[in-house]
Amino acid sequence: MTKAELLDYIKENFSGELEVIENEHPEPYFIVKAQDLVEFSRFIHDDERLLMTFLMNLSAVDTTEQFEIVYNVCSYRFKHRIYFKIIFDYIKPEFDSVIDVWRAADWYEREIWELFGINVKGHPNLKRFLLPDDWDDGYPMRKGWQGKNVIPMPERK
Amino acid sequence: MGVIKKLPVYAEKVPGGGIITTQLNKVFTLTQAKSLWYLLFGTACCAIELMATGASRYDFDRLGMIFRASPRQSDLIIVAGTVTYKMAPVVKRLYDQMAEPRYVLAMGGCACGGGPFYYDSYSVLRGIDKVIPVDVYVPGCPPRPEALLHGCLEVGKKIRTQKMDDWS
Ligand code: SF4
Repeated sequence: MTKAELLDYIKENFSGELEVIENEHPEPYFIVKAQDLVEFSRFIHDDERLLMTFLMNLSAVDTTEQFEIVYNVCSYRFKHRIYFKIIFDYIKPEFDSVIDVWRAADWYEREIWELFGINVKGHPNLKRFLLPDDWDDGYPMRKGWQGKNVIPMPERK
Repeated sequence: MGVIKKLPVYAEKVPGGGIITTQLNKVFTLTQAKSLWYLLFGTACCAIELMATGASRYDFDRLGMIFRASPRQSDLIIVAGTVTYKMAPVVKRLYDQMAEPRYVLAMGGCACGGGPFYYDSYSVLRGIDKVIPVDVYVPGCPPRPEALLHGCLEVGKKIRTQKMDDWS
């Protein structure tokens, strides 16, 4: 499907609310409500005209006011892909795991949990992943984080 | 006898016979320096350069250096690449498993002292000399194969200045 077809198809067939981000890329980009995340994922994964069976990337963005979780998914069958993201605030950062839809989300979500300190609801195995097991120095990927062992870059003269 | 003719420093011929005399220490350290089997420990980009050094163009083998996949069979550990805090106990453990005498070559800026990750990094160990003793440092990002070969020859030189019984 082309970009316009994909946009229309998803907007018509998905029951929840969707916001479209206009962009130059050849793929559509949505903002999904955080509570609709699993439902939306299930929909694009299972729908027989979409079949987005491959989670290409999953990352978190810290904008210092809110967190965004960005998903890139594509379909091996139809060779199309979309991006979508969810947004939630800084006060109580947590989102639902999509591990039941895409098994590949496992490590990505562990990484987000570990480096951003965002709780992943429903993840079966939230254990330390990239940092040492006895790490107690906060969440290094958050903006404004200052670690004990970090030597800051000196000012350029 | 061809070899012996080339080693006037180490061997003395007894006139009139095929007998030479030398010191046991010299034979031992010389043979040791000429067959350094190294443990591959590549964790990042420097490992690619290490592979290039081992391959046919630069040819490590001509120095008697053959890579081993087990610390128990190696004399030298070439730490090629970035070592993170999570990896540091692994380096230490591999070093501990090597039989004495053992030598360490730190290859690249990362292994020598943190390299490009010295500033603003939460995860990178600033030099492997924080966990294991290093004999030779080869700086560079990455060092060229010639530099690595030079570093290995320096390890050989160091071995040849040692006494048989002060291995450690
Ligand atoms: S010194 Fe440079 S080339 Fe070597 S591991 Fe570090 S970053 Fe990579």
